[in-house]
Amino acid sequence: MNARKSSSAVVAEDVSKVFFSGQDPVWALEDFSLTLEPGSFTCIVGPSGCGKSTFLRILGGLEERTVGTVTMPDDGQQIPAAFVFQEHGVFPWMTVLDNIGFGLRMSGLKKAERTEIARDWLSRVRLDDFADAYPHQLSGGMRQRVAIARAFATGSPLLLMDEPLGALDAQTRMLMQEELIALWEQERKTVLMVTHDIDEAIILSDRVIVMSGRPGTLREDITVPFERPRTFDIERTPEFSELRSRIWNLLREDALTAEENA
Amino acid sequence: MSTTSTSLQGDREQRTLVAATAQRARERSLATRDLVLSISTPILLLVLWELSARYQIIDPRFFPPPSQIVTAGYEMILDGELWMHTAPTLMRLFVGGGLGAISGIVVGLLMGSSRALNAALGPLFSALYPLPKIAIFPILLMIFGPTETPKIIAVFITTFFIMQINTVSGVWAIDRKLLEAGAAYGAKGFDRFRFVVLPGAMPFVFSGLKTATGTAVVVVTAVEFTGATTTGLGYLIWNSWQLFIPEKLYVGLVVIGVIGAIVTTLLSRSEKLLLPWRRER
Repeated sequence: MNARKSSSAVVAEDVSKVFFSGQDPVWALEDFSLTLEPGSFTCIVGPSGCGKSTFLRILGGLEERTVGTVTMPDDGQQIPAAFVFQEHGVFPWMTVLDNIGFGLRMSGLKKAERTEIARDWLSRVRLDDFADAYPHQLSGGMRQRVAIARAFATGSPLLLMDEPLGALDAQTRMLMQEELIALWEQERKTVLMVTHDIDEAIILSDRVIVMSGRPGTLREDITVPFERPRTFDIERTPEFSELRSRIWNLLREDALTAEENA
Repeated sequence: MSTTSTSLQGDREQRTLVAATAQRARERSLATRDLVLSISTPILLLVLWELSARYQIIDPRFFPPPSQIVTAGYEMILDGELWMHTAPTLMRLFVGGGLGAISGIVVGLLMGSSRALNAALGPLFSALYPLPKIAIFPILLMIFGPTETPKIIAVFITTFFIMQINTVSGVWAIDRKLLEAGAAYGAKGFDRFRFVVLPGAMPFVFSGLKTATGTAVVVVTAVEFTGATTTGLGYLIWNSWQLFIPEKLYVGLVVIGVIGAIVTTLLSRSEKLLLPWRRER
């Protein structure tokens, strides 16, 4: 195992995000606090529009918070975190290998070094034969593997994933969940992932954050008890079903409201 | 029994393969037919033209038969007249169009990347764009006199505006996710420009170049019509009309058409070569 744990945690305190829709202020996020332990895998679930993606984007530096403080692990990285987007996040004009090595290139790594790391990640996501292919020649699942490899390849201790598997079909999605668990268990990076899928959240994470509807606040912080390394077998346990219905009950009402107000 | 079932299975496989081969053969013969049709239709029309002109079904004074046009063109090549007119047109087209394209792309990229620059220049350029460029040609003639400069500038302005507008649209059409991905992975300043904005805008740049080629050919011809010159394919066409030599008029027309077609084809080829990520779309 070549896990490099970073010592400092990610701490967000009382983060709020307010934007204006016409004259009216919209509270996307209200006094949201969260601490991510180094090397932990955390999933955020919540109804549509609860600001979970907004929070992720604030951490990743893609959006500005209105108020609140965010402390990121300071370890000399060029970027605050490596981001994985839901879809269309890989550059269509770069080959698979160039996409994976993009973050390294931006941080100024020499070609030989970054190619070596990118090649390593290429084979870890089983795309060796596609090094020189362009994203449009790949399937949706393969493209997301590129996006995930690009994030891991940066070496950033923090990975932010915004519904990385959300656009995939159900079967591809399950295969990708397995791969993601395996990759993460080898690397033990700090991961914060937004998802709609309760099962996915339980299978992947150490901790599930349930958010309330707009304005997004923390509703419940649930520790997932399953041992690692994990397989899909945990889905057949009574604890799994219990956890799933507990989360669903927390979400159900807000999801209903969000749906009706949509 | 197992041998019979295997042979039955093999038999079925054989029949399926034969059917698949037949399907493929049908598809191929259709493709051949399409190719034959696309080539034979223009040839057929030319033959029809030739015959109707010879038998006076259409007036050969206005529509001289293609064979006469070819003969006239051949004679013009031999006595150098054709090149005398083609060379200046090409020069105006490539110097004016080349400079116009480069500056249009550069300005478009800058405007697409800088909010302030776009605010300053966007409305102005939008107001100027629909002005018929040929209408300002007299002003250019007044300033520069009957030299090459006003002709080149007319082509330059035409190309510049088309390229500037297309490039700005190209930058704006880049998927927000990709710009964010660039930012998330630390692409700032020139890196952002080189790895994200420029390649992202390229498809629009190429479609702009193709549009600009067509318009630049129109403008160069029109400028040469004006009598501000005694060279160029536009002059050849105009002069042939005044002297009533329809064959030469058609030769000029064909050469201009061929120039446009060659440039457009070259652009399509280089697009395929330079943007391999757009292939198979």
